[in-house]
Amino acid sequence: MDLEQAAGFVLEEGKRYGIDSFDLIATDSEDIGIEVFKGRIVSTETSRSRGVGIRVLNNSRPGYSYSERFSKEALSQMVRDAMDQTEITDPLDMELPGPKPLAEIDLKHYNPALEKLDFAWMREQGLALDHASWESDKRVENVPHVGVGKSSTQSLIANSKGVFVKKDSNVAYLGTGLVVVESDIKKMGSYYRSGRDISQFDPSYIAKEAAHRGTELLGAKPLPSGVYTIVLGNRISPQIFGMFSSPYFADAVQKGSSRLVGKLGNEVASPILSIYCEAHTPDYPGSRLVDAEGIPTSARTKVLENGVLKSYLYNLESAKRDNVSPTGHGVRSYSGRAGTSFSNMIVPLGTKTKDELLASDSHCIFVTKLEGGAGCSAVSGEISIGIQGIYYKNGKPEHAVDRITMNTNYFDLLHKIQGISNEYSDSYSSIKVPDILISEIHVAG
Amino acid sequence: MNQSNIETLIDAGKKRKADFVEIYEEESRNSSISLRDQKIEQSLAATDYGIGIRLVYGTDVLYAYTSNDDQQHLLSLIHLLADSRGEVANGSSAFTLPGDVAKYSFSKNIHDPRKVPPFRRLELLQKADSVARKVSSKIIQVGVSASDIVTNVLIANSEGLWVEDLRVRSRFFLSVTAENKGERFVASESPGALKGFEFFEGLPVEDIAQKAGERALFMLDAGYIEGKKMPVVMGNGFGGVIFHEACGHPLETEAIRKKSSPFVGKLGESIAQSCLTAYDDGTIEEQYGSLKVDDEGMPTQKTLLIENGILKAYLADRIGSMETGSARTGSGRRESYQYAPVSRMRNTYIEAGKDSLEEMFASVDFGLYAKRMGGGSVNPATGEFNFAVEEGYVIRNGKISEPVRGATLIGKGHEILPKISMVGKDLELAAGTCGASSGSIPVTVGQPSLKVDEILVGGR
Repeated sequence: MDLEQAAGFVLEEGKRYGIDSFDLIATDSEDIGIEVFKGRIVSTETSRSRGVGIRVLNNSRPGYSYSERFSKEALSQMVRDAMDQTEITDPLDMELPGPKPLAEIDLKHYNPALEKLDFAWMREQGLALDHASWESDKRVENVPHVGVGKSSTQSLIANSKGVFVKKDSNVAYLGTGLVVVESDIKKMGSYYRSGRDISQFDPSYIAKEAAHRGTELLGAKPLPSGVYTIVLGNRISPQIFGMFSSPYFADAVQKGSSRLVGKLGNEVASPILSIYCEAHTPDYPGSRLVDAEGIPTSARTKVLENGVLKSYLYNLESAKRDNVSPTGHGVRSYSGRAGTSFSNMIVPLGTKTKDELLASDSHCIFVTKLEGGAGCSAVSGEISIGIQGIYYKNGKPEHAVDRITMNTNYFDLLHKIQGISNEYSDSYSSIKVPDILISEIHVAG
Repeated sequence: MNQSNIETLIDAGKKRKADFVEIYEEESRNSSISLRDQKIEQSLAATDYGIGIRLVYGTDVLYAYTSNDDQQHLLSLIHLLADSRGEVANGSSAFTLPGDVAKYSFSKNIHDPRKVPPFRRLELLQKADSVARKVSSKIIQVGVSASDIVTNVLIANSEGLWVEDLRVRSRFFLSVTAENKGERFVASESPGALKGFEFFEGLPVEDIAQKAGERALFMLDAGYIEGKKMPVVMGNGFGGVIFHEACGHPLETEAIRKKSSPFVGKLGESIAQSCLTAYDDGTIEEQYGSLKVDDEGMPTQKTLLIENGILKAYLADRIGSMETGSARTGSGRRESYQYAPVSRMRNTYIEAGKDSLEEMFASVDFGLYAKRMGGGSVNPATGEFNFAVEEGYVIRNGKISEPVRGATLIGKGHEILPKISMVGKDLELAAGTCGASSGSIPVTVGQPSLKVDEILVGGR
């Protein structure tokens, strides 16, 4: 049974059991990839994974189940499992949507040329990248990670009201992680390219960039504890903004997990900051014409504009609770419950260069690396995290820094944003945030 | 999968000149129920199923996985893998498994969760929610979930191994959010065990909820510690996450074989003070990270990692053993059929020592008592780690003083180990989830209370 047949069977089973309302999400993915270590292909992987997940609303009571088996018996059992769950769940005030016309945009999520990429191509690229990584700098001591691969995915969303949307996508990647050493100090530099334009996959460039990311931190030393101006580099700012995306979800606001409760229309950030969700930008990984619950998406949702909170992001359940229209931000995998997510989180570019931001204070830390996110909480807003980067004095780089921590609160940080650069990082990411200048950040060293 | 199908697949791999062929079949029945906002947020029962095929040439690993058990499809994956190396078929004779399947199953005390109706778990969640909310009107949200998974694993390989292992694990998760004038603090608890529904029946839910609620409330009003290097006394139990991350991962042969660990070449050398002895033990009864056999089919064992400060062993899977020369330790683990196994920890802990908590406090003029740790992570190649402190207190003049929030500990594992100078008597273990190259797996971390002479504490 293929994906479409499985979805069709589940739709029929749902009707046969007389379920009031239900929807399903199904995916079928194929991946191949290799890892190279010291000139050898040490690992080769190929996979075919698929699954279908159903959400039923029986007398308004929800029940979830999924199956990775596509036999009639397994899929029928899945429907019964979901029905069984509805015996204990609380009623949910929610209605599934009917089919609606979607925007006619080619999101460029599928490149047929990628289907021709085989193990021979991966071997050639992987070995070239491994070689280039070792040769990229004389201080390279080890290259523990070199990987090449591609994946293609079919996904399908359907419901009992007639929504039936299929999507094909694929993507390839090539990247390295290397260790550089100088005077017993080791630093790691990594750089991965991914996307559908493999003309961008230049092993020599990738290796050099990874080496640069490692070597620029060699000779690092701590700074005295104090209050500093910092610039979150455009590789780092998406990580911070990504960790704190959930406070903008209506679901989190309604359930007490967001400090943005009651703040709609209020200034919650520096007036130079805007955050948009853009769903129709071609070749961005988060772009989608319809969300995971069958709601058409919008090209742009203004979440934060000039520092003022304009909108929360809604899925079906949270929209009904606030008595507003869903904004097309429902998200779900076949094995999970429906949640909320940005499609692509975009902070618009500013006008200054990164160097201009770094010169805006006599002492400035340019952050290029975060050490884990365990000290960050989207509920409290707490940020307590190790950082590494470059210390700038009067706009000039003085020395690399490590063994220091940054301590602040995300909701305070938003007000302290003083500048936004005119450049995104080149990573294939659904979060685009330029370099961000922030004043008065506690640093411990 | 029946014997004939397994033998055909192994034979196909051997015909393509693989030195070693392994078939891994897994079917899991998992259920979970979660309550938030005093409503059932999700109730789920579902089936995971898939097959992993590993061909090994020398120490090169070729891995395929699929959730489609069609025999021709599985054969096509073997040929695809072999084709990727340009290996042509030779004429080896048909492979036969020499013996009967060895079957491991639940202990007699297991209450099979597949036979427990969902409402039994619901009662547990409602009780926890009710107790936590009664702690204070400042408790604005409670999230509770109960989940269990029963997994039947079949592992067969070209060396004639053929085992089945029926596994069951259960986990309870509680988070309590307190709020005051816009400030929020979340306290959480997440016990787990290698047990069935009897785990939930014996769980002191009211006590867990009461303590989490009180902690959320208490820490809500905590200030911040001034960030700098200082002595730190770490609490027992989940405090062991620091050893797990900073030292455990770099001792896995997955890091050693790629020379991506500060402990490469250090076997037999002193890497810590003599007060420190540490184990990784997969055999502890009912602990969350325990296994009868690892995911390569090898019985697990108790592995002495560090004895009185001397590095004694690495944690080795099949490939790591071949490449490093270390004996296999029953540490080959994977999240599911979607991952090839690599060396991973099971239940990792520092052994109890001789010092009392009071003696540790008394030795500190100014420092931090990190009573409860949050999560953390490490870069094994550089040893750089970070940990969040969920519940902390200033130690002033040898006594516990005011509570502090938002503290982070950072450093390098191999540099911190020698700075552990006191080890307490109060060893405690705690369940956790560990993420690495073969996925997220259940583990146990643990330690007695201990003192680190100096570490950088992030604060304000």
